[in-house]
Amino acid sequence: MVALALALLLSTLPSPDVACEGRTDAGETFPTCFDPGTGWVLGAGLHLQDAEAALLLRTGILVRVVRTSDSKVDSSWFDSHRLFMTEAWGGARKALTFTGYEGLLRRHVDEGSLLVSLGRPVRIPFPFDVAMAVRAAHLERRVWEGPGWTLETGRVGLLLDPVRTNSEWGWLAVGPAASHTLRHDRDGTTHEVSPFTSLMLDTGWETRDGRWALRVTGLAGWAFDFDGGSHFRARGEVALEHVLLAVNDAPVALRLAATGVRGDAGLSRRNEGMLSAGLVVRPFGER
Amino acid sequence: MLVSAVTLGCALLLGQVEIPEAAVPQAPAEAPAEVPTDAPVKALTEALKQPRAEAWAVQLAVPDAGSPRQSPDQRVLCLTLPPTPAVPSGQWRAQCDETKKECLVAPAWELDSEGHETGQPLDRVSMCLEVMPAELARDYRLVPAIAEAPPGWFRDERGRVLQYNFDLHRRIRVGGAWAPRWLRETEGRDDRVRVDFGVDLEWPGDPGQLHRMTLLDTELYLGDASSFEATLLRYDFRSERDEPLFRVTTFYGKPRRFDVFANLGFWLEVLHAEQVRREDVKADFLALGSTHVTLDLWHSRDLVSYVRVRAGPTVERDRTNGFFTLVPAAALEGDLTLDRNGFHHVLFGAEAQKVLLAERVEGRPLRPERLRLRAGYEVIALAINDQPVSLTLDGRGTWRDDLANAPAGWEWSAQAGLRFSLWAPARRNAPMAHGGKE
Repeated sequence: MVALALALLLSTLPSPDVACEGRTDAGETFPTCFDPGTGWVLGAGLHLQDAEAALLLRTGILVRVVRTSDSKVDSSWFDSHRLFMTEAWGGARKALTFTGYEGLLRRHVDEGSLLVSLGRPVRIPFPFDVAMAVRAAHLERRVWEGPGWTLETGRVGLLLDPVRTNSEWGWLAVGPAASHTLRHDRDGTTHEVSPFTSLMLDTGWETRDGRWALRVTGLAGWAFDFDGGSHFRARGEVALEHVLLAVNDAPVALRLAATGVRGDAGLSRRNEGMLSAGLVVRPFGER
Repeated sequence: MLVSAVTLGCALLLGQVEIPEAAVPQAPAEAPAEVPTDAPVKALTEALKQPRAEAWAVQLAVPDAGSPRQSPDQRVLCLTLPPTPAVPSGQWRAQCDETKKECLVAPAWELDSEGHETGQPLDRVSMCLEVMPAELARDYRLVPAIAEAPPGWFRDERGRVLQYNFDLHRRIRVGGAWAPRWLRETEGRDDRVRVDFGVDLEWPGDPGQLHRMTLLDTELYLGDASSFEATLLRYDFRSERDEPLFRVTTFYGKPRRFDVFANLGFWLEVLHAEQVRREDVKADFLALGSTHVTLDLWHSRDLVSYVRVRAGPTVERDRTNGFFTLVPAAALEGDLTLDRNGFHHVLFGAEAQKVLLAERVEGRPLRPERLRLRAGYEVIALAINDQPVSLTLDGRGTWRDDLANAPAGWEWSAQAGLRFSLWAPARRNAPMAHGGKE
């Protein structure tokens, strides 16, 4: 699926001098480029899990900021913030996930380098951009599992980006991640930490007009309970968005997503696979 | 001001001057290319300086049905001519064309059937504040004409004015109709008459906006299974938006934008009471307030006629069973004025209602439903003293299952009657009369 999506993306890449403004016969202008990382997300679709389909609702706020560094020359920050992202689905397996904040802060430098300060300072080329992925207050509630919830209080990933694009349209960030999670069920609340014992991936690619966007995220590694014991868990998600049309300059996109979870779904750490397809409208999402 | 004062002074002077008899002058062969505004005063001054040897024995005929009509937009001058058998007062109203040197003159008083002047002044004419001296009138060709009438009004050759254009959205109406009813469950017919009255108001707002209000809209059904339906206030706001409600952009091929216009409005009803009778069952409902959103599917340029959908909630009191309910409703309805003079009107509508939050009542569903259908036609048959009397034809059907211990089903009613309307001024876009009714 990733290969297919990448192929689609590459085939639809516009020329660098892409025009982002259309014009009506009356001479009025309208935007034709959109920012997949900006806007208020409102979506609905179909959620498919274990051959059971259910209605899926999705909302949240996306903010993307590009700025040059105040303190470092020749460096830029490409920051993507996701606020209050909420997904709920009905059917027999009613569930809700909520993320208070999730962000990817990526710093790009024109010429990456390492400074070795032992003895005479030596500057060594460093072919990576650095990035930090932060997530806070990620709640997962599954009604069908009974009373209880899972709350990831915080997660931080220190990532490297070998692609080093100087734009917000593509990135590939990989690195270790640490997290703390609370699991509450009938028996009480347990703590679980992953002290940089997980590997995290966050990559994405977007066409310059923003009509195609692919994002792949993943996390795999070991987590440890406070009362001893450890377990391996892995989670990955691929999401593809394609803007079909725009209503009042707000893009309306088709969103296809696939999620796979191993040993990390719900209170009982189940293995799961989910597919979803739906429409997403993103007011204020013009580039 | 100066010109008026001079003109008035001249008129007073003329009143004391004995005007010699003069022959009717012939119209000049060529009209001057340009006439200064104070030309009448100068001409009058010259005329007074030069004594006329000839007497003016003009005998102007009264207008007939084919005579030209004065314009309500032009200045009218008072003109006194030598008395004639038909117009012994010699008082006329003149509208003059300086370039043609021609005046349309109409008697200042209404005429009787024999074409003789009566003591009744013309109605609905502008006052003539300026006087045209008879000496000056000698230089013009005088053409008998019918005095002007305001838009929506018609003046006959006798000078009588009558309204031929009516706005039935601004009126106080009282009517009656034969309104039998048939219930599907019974073979018989309820013989009833309907008495209805109400006050309709309509006024334009900013350009592209129209407000409409109905007060005390009441229908009383008397006879078999007497009942009533009344609304204290109904308000309706419609508008035409210049800006599109939705702009849809497509990207396949060359990006294109499609504008979707939607003319939204607002509909409000306060205190709608309804008493329903079906054989031995009686029920009372009181809708405290309804707020609906309207979407015009089509409306006329002046917003008066429309076809639209309307939807919204109502808070209703079931007075028979003693609880409040929430009644969402949706309707498709139309109100069409078919002709420019407002004689023909068509009303139609279909409204579905669902009663929610009701308490359980023995003998009826927990969430009853209603469906109301209506089609009506009203045509102005005649006008008495400029107040229209219209013929009304109505067909109504109602399906409901909100009556406890009464079977759900349809009731149908065909109604025919007359309606008398007070006020009913001319429509805002009423045309001018040109030689007859438009």
